[in-house]
Amino acid sequence: MKLEIRLFAGLKCNNKGLSCYGENEFCLEVPDGLTIRELHHMLNLQSSLPLVNLINGLAQADDQVLKDTDRVGIFPPVGGG
Amino acid sequence: MKIFRVNMTDLTAQIEDVPAEWQGLGGRALTSAVVAKEVEPTCHPLGKKNKLVFAPGLLTGSQAPNSGRLSVGAKSPLTGGIKESNAGGTASQKLARMGVKALIIEGQPEGDNFYGIHIDKDGIKIEKEADLVGKGNYEVIQRLVEKYSNQIGVITIGQAGESKLTAANISVKDPDGNIRSAGRGGLGAVMGSKRVKYITIDDNGAAPVQIVDSDKFKDAAKVFAKGLLEHPVTGQGLPTYGTNVLVNILNEAGGLPTQNFKTGRFEGANKISGETMHDVIESRKGKTSHGCHAGCVIKCSQIYNDKDGNYLTSGFEYETIWGFGADCCIDDLDIIAQADRICDDIGIDSIETAVTVGVAMEGGVIPFGDGPGLLKLLGEIKEGTYLGRILGNGAGFTGKALGVTRVPVVKNQGIPAYDPRAVKGVGLTYATSPMGADHTAGYSVATNILKVGGDVNPLGKEGNVELSRNLQIATAAVDSTGLCLFVAFCILDNAEAFQAIIDMLNAEYGISLTADDVTELGKFVLRTEREFNKAAGFTDKDDRLPEFFSDECPPHNTTWDFTDEEIDEVFNF
Repeated sequence: MKLEIRLFAGLKCNNKGLSCYGENEFCLEVPDGLTIRELHHMLNLQSSLPLVNLINGLAQADDQVLKDTDRVGIFPPVGGG
Repeated sequence: MKIFRVNMTDLTAQIEDVPAEWQGLGGRALTSAVVAKEVEPTCHPLGKKNKLVFAPGLLTGSQAPNSGRLSVGAKSPLTGGIKESNAGGTASQKLARMGVKALIIEGQPEGDNFYGIHIDKDGIKIEKEADLVGKGNYEVIQRLVEKYSNQIGVITIGQAGESKLTAANISVKDPDGNIRSAGRGGLGAVMGSKRVKYITIDDNGAAPVQIVDSDKFKDAAKVFAKGLLEHPVTGQGLPTYGTNVLVNILNEAGGLPTQNFKTGRFEGANKISGETMHDVIESRKGKTSHGCHAGCVIKCSQIYNDKDGNYLTSGFEYETIWGFGADCCIDDLDIIAQADRICDDIGIDSIETAVTVGVAMEGGVIPFGDGPGLLKLLGEIKEGTYLGRILGNGAGFTGKALGVTRVPVVKNQGIPAYDPRAVKGVGLTYATSPMGADHTAGYSVATNILKVGGDVNPLGKEGNVELSRNLQIATAAVDSTGLCLFVAFCILDNAEAFQAIIDMLNAEYGISLTADDVTELGKFVLRTEREFNKAAGFTDKDDRLPEFFSDECPPHNTTWDFTDEEIDEVFNF
């Protein structure tokens, strides 16, 4: 299945084996049934902190199973306002 | 400490003892208490009966990290209700060191003269000012620094304040001679109505702020600083990307108001994002991290240079970039930076002005996306043309002038950077805050979107009434300490850092406050403000969002669906 992925606040794909290495906005083919946590590992996201996941604009926990064409946004703890 | 009182009717000043009822107050608690006690709620906000109050917070002037914020209060000419507007810069710490508990400016002089107020170790001087009238804030600050010294504190208004436009703000000199703003609610117009162009504060020779138990204070300040530096938001996120990191995130969450609140996502978001801005600043040798006052350890601000590497603006915040960006459909960060620069210079609230331009675009004055047109409209405000005067009176006024029905205001104050249909907790804050639409009054975005201090669904109802209520109470208390509100990101997650604030207050004043006392202080502030508004003519019906929020907002296609009874529960405490 295919995901539309955006990584924010300095996060980048850190898996040298993927064509999206070093990118922060890309589409990616992944195996069916992939969870968000597995996607974090696949992208080798470098964060010692818990990440926030927005799937189609809605916050989801790491064990959520992703679906084809999901729009995935991931960011580390940030603030503003 | 003393109350410094300036009467602009007869151009006299006096220094008074602090009444017992104000002794335990500071910042917002004090400005609101003074306004509630001394200002007739039904008075004309630009008339002689209104008063303009400046108050450092309870911890301001001490070594407490991030404690240099200034509260400015009055009856607002924009909302018609009570207002506390909060700014960084150096003036607050200088006022505190000069022993100024509050500076109250009252009355109104006859004639067309403007005046400058100077505070130093010899007291208060009021002098006629002619040369700086009609000048922008950057020039005013530069000329006053040349007249006195680089160490001077400056509070000033630009052309917008002189013209008594109800979106005018009050500017405060920062450590580099640039500008911070008490932005919201048109308090620059109140200062202009008093015919005060600037206030200068020279704290040379002032004694340090008195601390009853300095050892305990230092220990608590260390714990607090450690908490701020170790929290991922205040220690890493804010210093690296500033507040503008939120453009991409609110866009992703579908809550970035776009095209005058028509949708929740902006195609050009990434071009104006904090990540892009960070790279632009670095490439032009600006500063990605900068504190708005001495003792700030968060340093969320920045220096943004133009394409030639020259200073363009600073304190370049998410809400401004959202407003001139997504809300006006402009995806050019340099245009937005120029707009921010102009707003700072002429002294007008960049949030209100951005919302206003969005409404003006909807009304056909210029097309959405017209960056050069935006700059031209800001020039009209500076010049004081009739169109400029319409725009300078804010989104509500402009919407009426143009016959626009999608006008995002509450209590006539422009709604900032988070669509209340997609971030419902902050929608309740917009609706119910005595300040009018103000995200800082109860920043539910933290918990709705950023997952700081818990997790409450931004699209549902459950938990949002309590979230907005608790954050409004906590914010009113934090605003009374002089602490930057961003410390809340840390203390929402870190009980030790929260306790350190109480310990600092107790050590400075030799008292024994508890967490419950702090909560009661926040409730006292909100009740005081709400009672003033009620006496000014406000009812529960003023705690409502505009009708158009019942229309669906893509991408979530949600609507504002709280009932009146549910909204009214926010202030049920």
